[in-house]
Amino acid sequence: MGLSIGIDVGGTKIAAGVVGADGKIGARSHRDTPATSVDETAQAIIDAAAELIAEHKVEAVGIGAAGFVSADRSTVLFAPNLAWRDEPLGERVGAALGVPVVVENDANAAAWGEFAFGAAKDVEHMVCLTVGTGIGGGVVIDGELLRGAHGVAAELGHMRVVPGGHRCGCGARGCWEQYASGSALVREGRALAESGSLAAAQMLSVCGITDSSELSGPMITKAAAAGDPCAVELLDDLGRWLGEGLASIATLFDPSTIVIGGGVSAAKQLLVKSAQVAFEKNLPARSNRPHPSFGLAELGNDAGIIGAADLARRRESAR
Amino acid sequence: MALTQALTIGIDIGGTKVAAGVVDPEGNILDRLRRDTPTKDPKETEDAIAETVRDLESRHDVIAVGIGAAGFVDGTRSSVLFAPHLAWRHEPLRDAVERRLGLPVVVENDANAAAWSEWRFGGGQGESHLVCVTLGTGIGGAILNDGALQRGKFGIAGEFGHMQVVPGGHRCECGNRGCWEQYASGNALTREARELALSGSPVAHNLLRRADGDPRNINGPMVTELAKDGDPVAVELLEDVGRWLGIGLANLAAALDPGTFVIGGGVSDAGELLLAPAREAFKRTLTGRGFRPEARIVRAVLGPEAGLVGAADLAREEATWLRRVRVKTSAVTAKTAARSGRSARLERVARKTAGRRTGMRVPEPESLKEPTEFELKEPAELKGDTEA
Ligand SMILES: [Zn+2]
Ligand SMILES: [Zn+2]
Repeated sequence: MGLSIGIDVGGTKIAAGVVGADGKIGARSHRDTPATSVDETAQAIIDAAAELIAEHKVEAVGIGAAGFVSADRSTVLFAPNLAWRDEPLGERVGAALGVPVVVENDANAAAWGEFAFGAAKDVEHMVCLTVGTGIGGGVVIDGELLRGAHGVAAELGHMRVVPGGHRCGCGARGCWEQYASGSALVREGRALAESGSLAAAQMLSVCGITDSSELSGPMITKAAAAGDPCAVELLDDLGRWLGEGLASIATLFDPSTIVIGGGVSAAKQLLVKSAQVAFEKNLPARSNRPHPSFGLAELGNDAGIIGAADLARRRESAR
Repeated sequence: MALTQALTIGIDIGGTKVAAGVVDPEGNILDRLRRDTPTKDPKETEDAIAETVRDLESRHDVIAVGIGAAGFVDGTRSSVLFAPHLAWRHEPLRDAVERRLGLPVVVENDANAAAWSEWRFGGGQGESHLVCVTLGTGIGGAILNDGALQRGKFGIAGEFGHMQVVPGGHRCECGNRGCWEQYASGNALTREARELALSGSPVAHNLLRRADGDPRNINGPMVTELAKDGDPVAVELLEDVGRWLGIGLANLAAALDPGTFVIGGGVSDAGELLLAPAREAFKRTLTGRGFRPEARIVRAVLGPEAGLVGAADLAREEATWLRRVRVKTSAVTAKTAARSGRSARLERVARKTAGRRTGMRVPEPESLKEPTEFELKEPAELKGDTEA
């Protein structure tokens, strides 16, 4: 008993799964994300869930979506990719399905998945980063997800690390995710190749491409894993930005564990090592305080589904 | 005397002075004592605390003592891990003082204590998501999330004065460069003002005259005074500090999303001269601005005694709670502990939740079987509470 559904609403795909109280995913369903229409996206979410509800008795549905979610966890205030503005998603999906629905920020859901069942299951204070095209943040304090006064806390990727730095989609400049994300990795790789660097040219040939515009994050990670020095350096730089930013974040939350997940974390120790080295070097008052541990996320792409489902179940059982 | 009217003592241990006071449940200070801080020997500091308490205790009936200290206080609020201006290194202060005084003692970081009193009695009343920023020589910080002080795993959360805002920026005593407190504190204000005066710029004429011609005489309050008199360069200097303040607050809003920021400390005496530019910079740099609710930025109202009052109030919460636990049987807690699986962690979380509002110390079930080291007064007083 105690099944719930977790739904991860991504920019291209909607992935849903039936999740047990043990955090294991049973049946799954998928839909493409209809990028154009708000209504169609809501309908696709409903369809993905209905397909599972037809076969399983579930208590609640949790939806993880990129964007600002209201403190009552029902309304998407703003979603960068999906054109949602003050969208009462929870109410809408709940009415269609006849099941209670909880909406959660996608990075929060993924962080909760790692906290409840993954890399941080034995701790109470965690900072989790989902490093993909941007940086998603999730923070657990004393065993509870940090949501803030309005529900939009833990937007760690938009902390400013460089005054007057790169422009960011959030409207600011110099945000952390402009320096420590997959997009930053690709931007730097391409810029290096375009500068005529021989090392970068070699990296392109290791990647099997000639045009730098074809360069992608996974390519760089693969080249680095194969020992290409240029790719290793690019990941090292990214890790350094990650570690320096995390040192600032540690002053706020004093976590016992820092978990790094998301697409870029496929680089594993190439990334985590350099992040940890930079972190240790930059942690304020580092010689007079305990240091948190570093770990890679364990649940992969399923973290969001598992976390959203678990948060939905927990809210139902708390009622 | 009803418990809710009980008095407690709050002690604020600074680098130079120990300030103590008897505080009532409304946050009023009824009696005060001040003395120098013996900084070299932890034992002497402890003596000073004990003597101060005995002195106040001779005139008032108090039920607990709260100590606010600048430094890292551990997660159980019993030890001072590190204090920059005192000789404490992993000092088990709570137990040591409790043994000597026979009263319940709470040890808290001074910025946390000040934030607690701003929440209970000051600028943050009615706001359960609060971030307090104290602008003194550096930046002190405290986070109140959902009505609970955030301490983090090791008790040292909220030290955001050392969040980096300028890569490769000014050196900081924490060992890094570019920390926020190097740009938005009293020291930053003084440094910038002195530099300007040293440069020989004619715009610094008034400033230099006020400092009797010597840039080394310039300090923060002097700049604030000049700015209040309308001196344009002093206004600019405060604007710069205010702008850095706002930029850092925007970072904190991205991470913490509070409803209100309370700005205290000496520099906040400049009032709107500081806060208006801070609000402007905050609005200009906040992530997702226009698509999210925004935090208010207000001035602290309690002044330098906030830490003392907060420590006293936290001590009252602790004492009240300890009595309840003693009156209740330990069976409930023990039963929770017996639940298998991930019981140890669940139990820890459950105990934390029990003490959630204040983050109060929640003893292990075993410790409840042992008599505590101090005798609790008036147990009959609490009979009404036990059913709750
Ligand atoms: Zn941004
Ligand atoms: Zn610092």
